[in-house]
Amino acid sequence: MARIKIDYAKCTGCRHCEAACSLSHIEGIVNPKRSRIRVFSKGDAFYPVIAGPFTDAKCTSKVTVTVEGREFDECMLCRASCPIKPVFKEPDSGIPLKCDQCGEPADPQCVKWCASGALTLIEE
Amino acid sequence: MGNAYAGQILRVNLTKGDWKVEELDMDLVRRFIGGRGLGGKILFDEVDPNVDPLGPENKLIFVTGPLTGTGAPTGCRYMVVAKSPLTGAIGYANSGGYLGAELKFAGYDGIIFEGKSEKPVYLSIDDDEIELKPASHLWGKSSTETDELIKAELGDQWRGVDTRVSCIGPAGEKLSRIAAIMTENSAAARTGLAAVMGSKNLKAIAVRGTKGVRLADAESFRAKVAEQVDVFRDHPAYGQFGTMHVYGTAAGMALGNVAGALPTRHFSGGTFEAAEAELDPQLMRETTTVRQKGCFACPIACKRVSKTTAPGFEGHGEGPEFETLCLLGICCGVNNLQAIIKAGFICNEMGLDTISTGVTIACAMELYERGYITDAEAGCKLNFGNAESMVEMTRKIGLREGIGDILAEGAYRTAEKFGHPEVFIGAKKMEMPAHHARGLQGMGLGYATSNRGACHNSAMMSSHEFPAIGTGTVTKGKPQMVKHAQELAAVVDSCGLCLFPTGVLMQEGILLLFNEATGFNFELKELMLAGERIWNQERLFNLKAGFTKADDTVSRRMLEEPLPDGPAEGNVLRLGEMLPEYYQLRGWNEDGIPSAEKLAALGLDHVKSSNKI
Ligand code: SF4
Ligand code: SF4
Ligand code: SF4
Repeated sequence: MARIKIDYAKCTGCRHCEAACSLSHIEGIVNPKRSRIRVFSKGDAFYPVIAGPFTDAKCTSKVTVTVEGREFDECMLCRASCPIKPVFKEPDSGIPLKCDQCGEPADPQCVKWCASGALTLIEE
Repeated sequence: MGNAYAGQILRVNLTKGDWKVEELDMDLVRRFIGGRGLGGKILFDEVDPNVDPLGPENKLIFVTGPLTGTGAPTGCRYMVVAKSPLTGAIGYANSGGYLGAELKFAGYDGIIFEGKSEKPVYLSIDDDEIELKPASHLWGKSSTETDELIKAELGDQWRGVDTRVSCIGPAGEKLSRIAAIMTENSAAARTGLAAVMGSKNLKAIAVRGTKGVRLADAESFRAKVAEQVDVFRDHPAYGQFGTMHVYGTAAGMALGNVAGALPTRHFSGGTFEAAEAELDPQLMRETTTVRQKGCFACPIACKRVSKTTAPGFEGHGEGPEFETLCLLGICCGVNNLQAIIKAGFICNEMGLDTISTGVTIACAMELYERGYITDAEAGCKLNFGNAESMVEMTRKIGLREGIGDILAEGAYRTAEKFGHPEVFIGAKKMEMPAHHARGLQGMGLGYATSNRGACHNSAMMSSHEFPAIGTGTVTKGKPQMVKHAQELAAVVDSCGLCLFPTGVLMQEGILLLFNEATGFNFELKELMLAGERIWNQERLFNLKAGFTKADDTVSRRMLEEPLPDGPAEGNVLRLGEMLPEYYQLRGWNEDGIPSAEKLAALGLDHVKSSNKI
């Protein structure tokens, strides 16, 4: 199965992936607010997160994730589209967004537009 | 079907505190593209070139290009246009970051600010919801503090994916003529436009947009960008392992030194002993660079996040760029890397142009060494190479403290104030960037003829001219090269792209992106003709503002005092060999005034009657 591997250290925060994703899912429009990948930032680092399945309840088991000594106590690294998160939803309708790997077989446009090597497609 | 333009301009009257949304004139953008071209046209039509740049009659125009926010590689730029308080000529400066794209996503190609607010305000745009909000509590705050406070106020807690802010720091508030407009550490730096923003009591603009940008031919645009990204990804200079990505713009340091094109000790020489030692980009990468960063949709990512730890110079922020290293460093004779980076951080926080600030400090250092500024006036030892004083001066300029009150007016006015205007180095009262006008003849011609004063980006000549690759000291053929480079830069600046990828995209690549995004189906010569039209339009503004042939020059020392070192040793700028030919190529008469035929060919003869020269 194809998977998108994310190398946080390489991400430059350019958001070209967000532009690519929206352009390939909405007829003729570039709109990062409707992208299935979003790039969050904390401190000096950028964290691309790819939208996973929708959950209709906010989770009750919040965890703290530590990445290279940096703590993430909110929902930043969670892939779910959930009721309390303002991302991974259509801005107007609130319809949840989920990555579909740009079709079958996977043809991720975000990977194609990522020049830094932060996103790569791997088979496993 | 879309055309990559948002289709709307927001006009804000700060005196009355109201605004209206106007339809974008599509005939106008076919002729002036957007960005710098459109902004310059609006300025020419709406502002008398003789107004006081810091008075309410001046207008401040933020304007994006058609490729801003489209996903075109480096399509991130917004241009700020106004009459410049530094030069008195047309002023324009652009910035990367994310704000330009966000403005398009909110549904606006640009914003025109008119008048002056009674109290400090900031403009908040959330798609169709517009509001002028009080900003007295933000007055005096640094650029990053302002950014954070506004984002907190507007409820953007979601990790910076929501609202984008562009603001002025203390320097802009205090009307420094070398102040820069900042957006998340990216600067619209040159020509002092932050002072225009300050004069209008406008602290910031904050934008959130959810509408997106609609393209004409999205399918082939997407495929084309993917192809271009492939080229960037493995490019030796611009790719993921390329010098621009790995070292940032500082990668050019050794080249500049070998070419003898550095601005050493206020341009007294062209080589600098520390350029390949203390200021080596590899050393910087190992000691101060935290990471690289890219503007919206940029495959290059030349920006740096840095950290300094040297005692007295501790800090954290963004930069330095090549220009910052050269002007706060080499031009001031300073070889202390961490001090230079720290001074760059302060400039970002104060909202200062690092080029103009560096040259102004260097100019003061020369005045001091010549005995024209006393210890008492300087408030410190202001000798070349004095890292502590250089850093301290950036703070003083930002806050207009002590002698900083004078330096905040820029190098020309500083030199004049101390009775020696001949010490100033630049053109049209704007400080010269880090490429010597004496060894690089084309660059010198570019400085002399640039509509916004000494500017290295108005005609990108250095890559043609560094002796290692080209022919810097030759004048033959330069007028034609400069003319072409000026028009290409005008196109790039008007499309909303960064200048850096031009060498990879080439004009053909830019044309393709432009056509697929807009659906205009221009031929290359139409696009380049728009560049020429934009150049001449700016020229008309300057002529009406009282500029003449006599202003198409650089400081006399560049023309008279031979360069003492480096491969271009013995050279002066031989402007006289190039200027007449340049005028001729431009279709201007010997006084540098565009001929009636030229204006007619460019469609600039229908200037509104109030704006006849
Ligand atoms: S395109 Fe790549 S480098 Fe740019 S933000 Fe997305 S993941 Fe990061
Ligand atoms: S794989 Fe396709 S759908 Fe998924 S985030 Fe990337 S571009 Fe979007
Ligand atoms: S090359 Fe540098 S300045 Fe230009 S868009 Fe990329 S990161 Fe920004």
